[in-house]
Amino acid sequence: MAKTLASVRRARPFLGTLVEITAWRGKACRLEQAVECAFGALERIHRLMSYHEPGSDVSRLNRAGKVPVVVHEWTYSVLQTSSELQHQSKGLFNIAVAPTLERLGLLPRSVERSRQPADLGQEGAVELFAGNRARLRAQGSRIDLGGIAKGFAVDQAIGVLREHGVLSGLVNAGGDLAGFGPHEHLIAIRDPRDPARLLARTALRDAALASSGLHFGFFGRSQHCSIIDPRAKQPVTAISGASVRAASCTIADALTKVVMLVGTAASDVLDGYGASALFVTTTGEVLATADWQGVHSLAA
Amino acid sequence: MVDWVQLTVPAAIVTKLASPTYAVQYLTLAESQKLSFPGAADFVPIDTRAWKVASDGKELGRYIVDRVIGKHLYIDYAVTLDAGGRVQRVDILQYREAYGGEVRDRGWLNQFVGKSRTSPLQVGTDIRNISGATLSCHHLTEGIKRIVNRYGKDTR
Repeated sequence: MAKTLASVRRARPFLGTLVEITAWRGKACRLEQAVECAFGALERIHRLMSYHEPGSDVSRLNRAGKVPVVVHEWTYSVLQTSSELQHQSKGLFNIAVAPTLERLGLLPRSVERSRQPADLGQEGAVELFAGNRARLRAQGSRIDLGGIAKGFAVDQAIGVLREHGVLSGLVNAGGDLAGFGPHEHLIAIRDPRDPARLLARTALRDAALASSGLHFGFFGRSQHCSIIDPRAKQPVTAISGASVRAASCTIADALTKVVMLVGTAASDVLDGYGASALFVTTTGEVLATADWQGVHSLAA
Repeated sequence: MVDWVQLTVPAAIVTKLASPTYAVQYLTLAESQKLSFPGAADFVPIDTRAWKVASDGKELGRYIVDRVIGKHLYIDYAVTLDAGGRVQRVDILQYREAYGGEVRDRGWLNQFVGKSRTSPLQVGTDIRNISGATLSCHHLTEGIKRIVNRYGKDTR
């Protein structure tokens, strides 16, 4: 039986979505203050990694091109993880798809328009140097951390809650979420084909779960997919939604893009990160890794 | 090497899990005002949804509540402006999404019935969290812009 504990549940908009934090009291812990500080970290990440804010590290990197710029250690860390993911996924995870997103109207057009840069394949989009310095590898390339920053933000917020002595917590950034503490957090996964439906339920304990898929229009506008296949420079078409469970939300968030692109062929990458996955094809097939927890509840 | 299993889900099962309505009350108006301007401050109404906030006769900023409505959801939110008319913080007061306008799954809705903001949540069993394709909050961003235009310019 779960015990009833004092808790705080708050939501604020960051990173283009609603971020919700729920925290349950620990010993000598000021819940409200802990949640405020966690939102503080989210706000900082929003400012550093937004594609839209001219002063963000991402915008500064995109403007500077091949001239190295000093970025915040958090941005540096996300760039490092992105490079590793790009390598591990043989180029499928790619933070340099911004020009394609712009062309499709999924990101606003840059002021300084340029040619589509050459395909970088498995090579990282960004070169990293000592002292938190980074630069784009190809002139005219542009990066967007939209495929990983939300996961990183969730992990950082979780870290802040832990530091404040919160007993148990859950951070949900528009569907990319992570929970910690002695209790399991029950999570429902939305059916990517129909937002009114739930596809499965699962329980998280000191783990993260992220989902990607069609974007649901608020005003009945047509749905679109903002996951770009870096090989074809086109949106994904075969898979309508994917969820990945991993130890960190940064990894879970990024790996949803890889599963969206190649489905079952993502096995090796998932295995390498100790992650499990579930996805739905546009023809309605539901596939999950054999270790996907919660499958029984779906089939029951 | 990871093995994959194909799940055959009868349509009836999926429908059974349907969640046409999902609502959360995060903060009451009073709680939100207190969070936005900690300490004793006077809230002087400007109109039905905006307040001028002052302490010891000195203007600290403004506090505005608004609601954005879409086909599938509405969000009640509060915007705090500093004395210079800049956005200090945005808090969600209530979030509600409804699909099809009818409640098909009473169980889903019932978890929120009678739940005031102060009543404790039961860990793990109480509130279901949802993971799915990210809901964009484009319309919320537009709402905040409208508020800044209307209430942020004549703060002096």
